[in-house]
Amino acid sequence: MALFTVLRAAFGYLFLVFLTRIVGRRPGKQLTPFEFVLVFYLGGLTLTGMVGTEMSLTNAVCQIFTIALCHYVLSVLRLRFPAFQKVLCGSPLLLMSNGRWRSKSLSQALLQDDDVMDMAREQGIRDLSGIRVAVLETFGQLNIIPAQKNPPTDVKGEG
Amino acid sequence: MPNIPFETPVEDSVPKVADEVAVGEDLDFQRKWWRFEKIIWPILVLIIVADVVGLFGRGWLAKAKAATPDNALSLDYERIERASTPSIMTLHFGEPAIHNGRIVLHVSDSIVKPLGAQRISPQPALSVVGNNEITYVIPATQSPASLQIEMDPSFPGLHPFRVQVEGSTPIDRNIFVVP
Repeated sequence: MALFTVLRAAFGYLFLVFLTRIVGRRPGKQLTPFEFVLVFYLGGLTLTGMVGTEMSLTNAVCQIFTIALCHYVLSVLRLRFPAFQKVLCGSPLLLMSNGRWRSKSLSQALLQDDDVMDMAREQGIRDLSGIRVAVLETFGQLNIIPAQKNPPTDVKGEG
Repeated sequence: MPNIPFETPVEDSVPKVADEVAVGEDLDFQRKWWRFEKIIWPILVLIIVADVVGLFGRGWLAKAKAATPDNALSLDYERIERASTPSIMTLHFGEPAIHNGRIVLHVSDSIVKPLGAQRISPQPALSVVGNNEITYVIPATQSPASLQIEMDPSFPGLHPFRVQVEGSTPIDRNIFVVP
């Protein structure tokens, strides 16, 4: 039944959005091979249930439209309601500031201090004293703001 | 009409860390979310356990048996099934079911329509439809004898069904099909 295929597509999309939100965010540049497996495997398993036995092009197009619409609606809700944005994307997380680790935030984000140092080394920072602030952004990017190279006024400008 | 871009003044509304870096961290919300995650993970584990034991079909809890008092007919089926997933209902016939070298089996229509009966093996010699049921005539010598109905339910929900052999009481049961 056409209605069920559309509902299945919407459910599959929203279910995956919810699940990936629960599984936790890891910095995109630091996806390990087993996290790649998670991404592809989740997608593949969801596809099986969403498509079922209906393999027509019409079904595929309608389900893609459904998912596009769901994505658009979530984006609009995210834009209109800050509370919804936090539920959907979370809040940026400080992992290090004032020379101290935010250990609770690190463990909840399933990150280690090594992950922060990996990113710091990419920016030419040799040790922890070179980090002013480390932030895990809502989109999964781990941003490091150096302690000495950029004075506070420059940091504001980078925004 | 002049091509004037829409503009609004820049407001520095993102909360800062140590008055320096605009991060916009909301640790109160984040703590609430972490508490929510702590609740969700055990629920996910419970769902997996429920799935393994068959609460959503295809497991120990889903399997069911039924029989008539005179043992003319007994039934192995799954009381919980999954939509678009094949399953087998096995009917075992006792001596009271066999009359004149044949078994006459009445099956309700619901076995075919919502529960998606695909094939009966062995094939009956005769199939007759009518009165919201299907009647199969199966040649038989002596008990024990059995027959399998392969099903592939399409419609989620609770579906009652009835099976009966001629000369015995009917078996009325329900099958719940999960999406």
